[in-house]
Amino acid sequence: MSQFAQLKILIADDHFLIRQFVRNTLQEAKITNIVTAADGNEAIEQVQKAVEDKEPFDIVFLDWNMPTISGIEVLNYFRAKPDYADTAFVMLTAESEQQNIMKAIKAGATSYIIKPVSPSDLSKKLFEINEWIKRKRHSSGFTK
Amino acid sequence: MAQVAEIHRLALDDQLARNIEQAVTMAIQNTFGTKIEPGRYEVGEGMVSLSGDVSGVIAMVQNQLEATLTFCLTFEMVRDLLPQIVGRSVSVTHDMAVDAVGEITNMVFGQIKTELNARGYSLKLGIPSVVTGRGHFVSQFHRGRYMLIPFHLQGQILQVHIALYEGADR
Repeated sequence: MSQFAQLKILIADDHFLIRQFVRNTLQEAKITNIVTAADGNEAIEQVQKAVEDKEPFDIVFLDWNMPTISGIEVLNYFRAKPDYADTAFVMLTAESEQQNIMKAIKAGATSYIIKPVSPSDLSKKLFEINEWIKRKRHSSGFTK
Repeated sequence: MAQVAEIHRLALDDQLARNIEQAVTMAIQNTFGTKIEPGRYEVGEGMVSLSGDVSGVIAMVQNQLEATLTFCLTFEMVRDLLPQIVGRSVSVTHDMAVDAVGEITNMVFGQIKTELNARGYSLKLGIPSVVTGRGHFVSQFHRGRYMLIPFHLQGQILQVHIALYEGADR
């Protein structure tokens, strides 16, 4: 079984193209528990509902520019809540200026991926993010 | 005395052409797994009308410069590219084409801006727009300089056009 197969992932992006591209890449890595959101508001609802249902997401991919609530606002919202400390929030965005990258990292982004990204580079990032999740959960005693 | 950072003027030169070629080929290659070939670029003066079915348009401004970047392609090209993502069994709709061109425009222009700003241009981008309609024309009403770069994919042409006006301080 793939080391990623148990991961539960949310892809929040207003563009169908990117949601489908990321979904395809994750499915190549044998990940099947994938949910999508088309804007920031929907992303917040999905992430909160998953925690209420005791099935939290492991990774949340966030586009920066989305309707209703931006990805960086979603990140700030959840990083202010300790319940989501073990969730990896990953910015996946065309915003490639250093000041934005620093802003997201300071806000607590687990990783920052600049679009366009190739499937192989996204898979490499997935490995790094999974390692972050393992370390985080090992230190907090979380088991899934 | 405080030093004033030098702001570079945007030149329609080999380096800019390379930046655009790299941004477009990388966006298409990474997203669709398809190689698109840049053709020979052209620099001139005056109005050029681009014709296509789906276009991404964005404004770029700097203190002494205003420019429009247009990314113009045919629906057939989008129909060739999108099945790499959505699968061969899915019919490519108008909405899918608009979505795809909007996002590719976003990625390409984001990368160009980063490349240029890293070289000291201090450019700001406007809000990207997508224009659709079979055989539409995109014309920039200006008498300034332009750069036009064609890209080829399976008999289809994608065109990237920059119209540039360098005037007084804005």
